[in-house]
Amino acid sequence: MAKTYDVLIIGSGASGGMAANILTGRGASCVMLEAGPQVDFQRERGYKNVYELPYRGFGKPGKLEHVFQANEFNANQWVDEQQVPYTHPAGEPFNWVRVRMIGGKSNFWARMSFRLSDYEFKAKDHDGYGENWPISLADLAPFYSRVEGIFRVTGRKEGLPQLPDGNFVEDESPDSETVQLFAAAAKAHGIPTTKIRRALGTGQLASSWNLLLPDAVNSGNLTLVTNAVVRRLTVDKNTGKVNGALFHDRHSGREMEVRAKAVVLGASCLESTRILLNSGIANSSGVLGHYLHDQFYMSSSVAAVVPEARDGKTRIFGSGYIPRFRNLHTKEKNFIRGYALDFSFGGTPDAKYFGSWGEQLEKDLASVRGAGFGCTSMGEVLPRYENFVAASKTVKDAWGIPVLDIHCKYGENEINMAKDAVDTIAEVCRTAKFEVLNRNDKMYPPGYSIHELGTCRMGDDPKKSVLNKWNQSHDIKNLFVVDGSSFVTGGSQNPTMTILALSMRASEYLADQMKAGSI
Amino acid sequence: MIAETMKRRRLLQAIAAAVPLSAQQQPAPRPGSARPMGAPTPPPNLDTSVADEAAGTVTRFFTPPQFSALRKLSDTLMPPMSGAPGALDAQAPEFLDFLISQSPAPRQQLYRAGLDALNAAAHRRFGNAFAEVSAPQAAELLAPLRQPWTFDPPADPLAAFLRAAKADVRTATMNSQEYVKHSANSGRRGFGGQGLYWYTLD
Repeated sequence: MAKTYDVLIIGSGASGGMAANILTGRGASCVMLEAGPQVDFQRERGYKNVYELPYRGFGKPGKLEHVFQANEFNANQWVDEQQVPYTHPAGEPFNWVRVRMIGGKSNFWARMSFRLSDYEFKAKDHDGYGENWPISLADLAPFYSRVEGIFRVTGRKEGLPQLPDGNFVEDESPDSETVQLFAAAAKAHGIPTTKIRRALGTGQLASSWNLLLPDAVNSGNLTLVTNAVVRRLTVDKNTGKVNGALFHDRHSGREMEVRAKAVVLGASCLESTRILLNSGIANSSGVLGHYLHDQFYMSSSVAAVVPEARDGKTRIFGSGYIPRFRNLHTKEKNFIRGYALDFSFGGTPDAKYFGSWGEQLEKDLASVRGAGFGCTSMGEVLPRYENFVAASKTVKDAWGIPVLDIHCKYGENEINMAKDAVDTIAEVCRTAKFEVLNRNDKMYPPGYSIHELGTCRMGDDPKKSVLNKWNQSHDIKNLFVVDGSSFVTGGSQNPTMTILALSMRASEYLADQMKAGSI
Repeated sequence: MIAETMKRRRLLQAIAAAVPLSAQQQPAPRPGSARPMGAPTPPPNLDTSVADEAAGTVTRFFTPPQFSALRKLSDTLMPPMSGAPGALDAQAPEFLDFLISQSPAPRQQLYRAGLDALNAAAHRRFGNAFAEVSAPQAAELLAPLRQPWTFDPPADPLAAFLRAAKADVRTATMNSQEYVKHSANSGRRGFGGQGLYWYTLD
């Protein structure tokens, strides 16, 4: 048997990368298992003309049917749904979008960087629904600040309680005239706007790969194993503690065993839960796999044209963000919680919004070229017990590992919220005297936002939660789960900053506990 | 268009072949840059072509009446405009015959039923197949396209098909070699054009 490491970390994305960065920095010997390869950008990517692609850019029909973000150029960056399938009830799709390579999804995220507020951490106190987190903003704020520094988050401080300010690279650029016009219209409806808060990163990435893992590797304390597909964790029968994992080499299928004194799962929300379900551990509460939630997305919720920019009369540009504004001080009629939107100017509306074709369509498009307003609505999805994942009893992946059976659908609260988002933004557009071309209040299927959360939630009560406030298993003290699966509620903010801050906090706690001999 | 391109290529090849080898520009080896004996010489990076430049697509999926309707529809939705190639120049109908033949059954049914419905409507209203109707008559038959776009496709099979075909014909045309090259040559930004391609990961 090979050596026993201090910590086994599963996954090299945002949460696993942060764990490796912190733990190796504290002197722990770590081994990391990543299910995919390290990508050689020079060898595995290259420019091509769209007409050189086998399907003229349409993509291979039927491939990646759940990944709406896929196109024929990037199809190979996503997990192959035939190799690693999953199941869902007929008519209730879940778009599970996965990446297996060093850095994981942090290589491709939109870099939107927000903090949660106590409207989320203490949501039950606010509206009575669900559970509070076992931590508050004050607990996580110091870690947010450090994460924002590493990822170089840019933004404008606003003092909004629902969107806490951070340790920003101050964005002092003025809003464009069109953004100012829109912001004034929104303000007339009592809706705040701000700059988009975004991770600048360094070079071409703001990823675990370039910001977190290099220090870990350079410390000499990290053994990074690629193409290692984890089957399950192993448990010491005498102590009941986890002591490693069984995994398969991605290429050959050879089964391997690795040993460690503690295990940190950061394989992404649903993959971490899948590993726990397939291991048959950490579920004395019975809630492992439950309370799956994400954020519903509606792209082009409202498509509009700025009249002053028609026919190239004026060039418009700029973008911004509307933080949650519903149910902060008053109670809406038919939904709780709230939604956020990002918006931008200067695009050209899609041809589908015009009822013309042929030469008339080209004239219509030429008239609005660069004159478009577009926005994406992002709404909080309530964590519900009945939205859950389970290990399939019949379907296995290419390595013989049981796949996930995903049961998730949106409810009345999300549907009503989506309608309100579109009605409200259309009204703001009218106030700004934009021409509304189209409005859409139909949400993409659950999962589309790639913000899947919950299924391994934290809490103070071991009967209602899988993890304690340190992302530590209630049942197994040397087991930590540090990714989005630990979320209690997700709010409407993109979750990456919170995942990173939670992982940093949990990893420092683990290092302290190991140093004290408690683990 | 294909024939012209092939003629150009043959002409260039003939010119190249006619030039004596000694007259072709060969850079003289620099002192000290000679490869050591036995060192591998990298193979030349030859100029290659996509199949569309040399050949046409064999159509097998749609019936002759369906394919005739698809050609007419493609030409109506995306005619040659301002010197740019249209759907027929780009072999968009032929490409769609291939693409739909590879597609899941619901998409195949959408196209087959839609083209049949288009022909049936043309016969019912104008006594002709869709391929034979005049431009104003075709415009009448395409009226469902004037309905506002909705996230869910229209319930009416013809309306749903026309919506899909409008997008597909446009993409198949604008992503064709003919269209992209025309856009590049005329200084217009081509739809799609170039992109960063991910090869299969090792």
